[in-house]
Amino acid sequence: MDEVAAKIIEILKKHMKEPRDDINLSTALTDLKIESLDLAMIVFDIEDTFGIEIPYNANEEAADFKTVGSVVERVKALMTNAGAGGAAASAKAS
Amino acid sequence: MTNTNGARRVVVTGMGAVTPIGHTVEDFWAGMKRGQSGVSELGGFPLDDLKILIAAQIKDFDHRARLRGAKRDKIIMHADRYSWFAAAAADEAVRQSGLEVPFADPYRAACIIGSGAGGLTTYEVAYRDLFIHNKRATHPLTLLRIIGSSASAHVGIEYGVKGPTFATCSACSTATHAIGIARDYIRNNVVDVAIAGAAEAVINYGTMKAWQALHVLSPEGCFPFAKKRNGTVLGEGAGILVLEDLEHARKRGATILAELIGYGMTSDSKDMVNPDVEGPREAMRMALDDARIGPADIDYLNAHGTATTINDRNETNAIKELFGQHAYRLPISSTKSMHGHPLGAGGGIEAVACIKAINEGWVPPTIGLDEPDPDCDLDYVPNVGRDLKVRRAMSNSFAFGGLNAVLVFSEPPA
Repeated sequence: MDEVAAKIIEILKKHMKEPRDDINLSTALTDLKIESLDLAMIVFDIEDTFGIEIPYNANEEAADFKTVGSVVERVKALMTNAGAGGAAASAKAS
Repeated sequence: MTNTNGARRVVVTGMGAVTPIGHTVEDFWAGMKRGQSGVSELGGFPLDDLKILIAAQIKDFDHRARLRGAKRDKIIMHADRYSWFAAAAADEAVRQSGLEVPFADPYRAACIIGSGAGGLTTYEVAYRDLFIHNKRATHPLTLLRIIGSSASAHVGIEYGVKGPTFATCSACSTATHAIGIARDYIRNNVVDVAIAGAAEAVINYGTMKAWQALHVLSPEGCFPFAKKRNGTVLGEGAGILVLEDLEHARKRGATILAELIGYGMTSDSKDMVNPDVEGPREAMRMALDDARIGPADIDYLNAHGTATTINDRNETNAIKELFGQHAYRLPISSTKSMHGHPLGAGGGIEAVACIKAINEGWVPPTIGLDEPDPDCDLDYVPNVGRDLKVRRAMSNSFAFGGLNAVLVFSEPPA
């Protein structure tokens, strides 16, 4: 698992009431019992960590957030778009 | 049981307080018995150019320890400080009441917890992040922390209240209005039980600047009715009661602490900062009429007593106009001399002081009253509390904007 995925799983675990150690890319977010407020905080943390902005509306079904892997892919795509800005933020986060 | 008017009688079966001189009712009461001042050097945030450097802050409140028993409210730990105070005081009050929670009949319960200003410190932190630190976003919980109804929502969730749940907002009369409204809901058979009061936690740089600009804060201390008084001292905390229909309480064998027999409210409708004698006087009169008693039936009066020049003189005059000769025999104290001015929470904390005075047969003092203002010539129980049989106690709350609310408590029904 790469660094982006590892960091995202770390963030997910931070916001879970009962963190688990068996989370992988195919884990469905619904299995993690993440509620809407937790999701808002997770998105906030991911944005801060990777210096990106995730277009996300709590009123809509988040297709990009079905599994851990889909979140990782979406973040990577946004980081590529963010370019240098993303790299700078990664440095800040580490 | 109803009174002669056919209305249901309302009693107090639980109370909770978080104050600068004690984080529980027992500790608060012990602090008042000692005549302890909760005023200390301002701290906890950069003071920068502040000129007023004292406040009645709650400095050692461990919300994690105090609220770890929360069962249903999953995010109370992430809430604003004012909601922490509300949750802690509500926890104490509900425990004392012995009511089973979550409520078996949730639509017959109310949760009315006000706040003069809600999560102002959360606002300040968020705006510093945005405007000074150029953060791209506020924390996702910012909005929920700020809203003035969040304390009532948090507490309502924790205890499974599904009836009327909202906040009142009337500056320094906030808690008194909340308790009065809750009383009326029970009296009028809307609900059987209510958690009611207020919480406040606004001591931060921006709020201190705003109060400083109004020039009503003392740089030295809170000395109600004293010649030397030169302003109020900001405080913080919460005061919350569990109110209950008398029959409901009796049926379950609850210990009844007091009866809430009178409630009066008026507005001066005149000026934002200069109070009138008429408005406070009429609010007190309405509370007495509502209780069907006369001025001489009041044994102790917990004054609004902010230690501003104008409030203390005006309140003294209003008391004289209503109570006549009894005004000179009536023990009156401002407990703000000890717990500071907790703004919206004041009436809740002072209601607790009144009920304890009834239960313990002792009236708290007005400390710092070495030499009274010649215009304030009543018995303010200077410096040392007093053993006294208190059958009925009145609690005054007179807010900015001329918003007045008064409660009268009596000893438990025989």
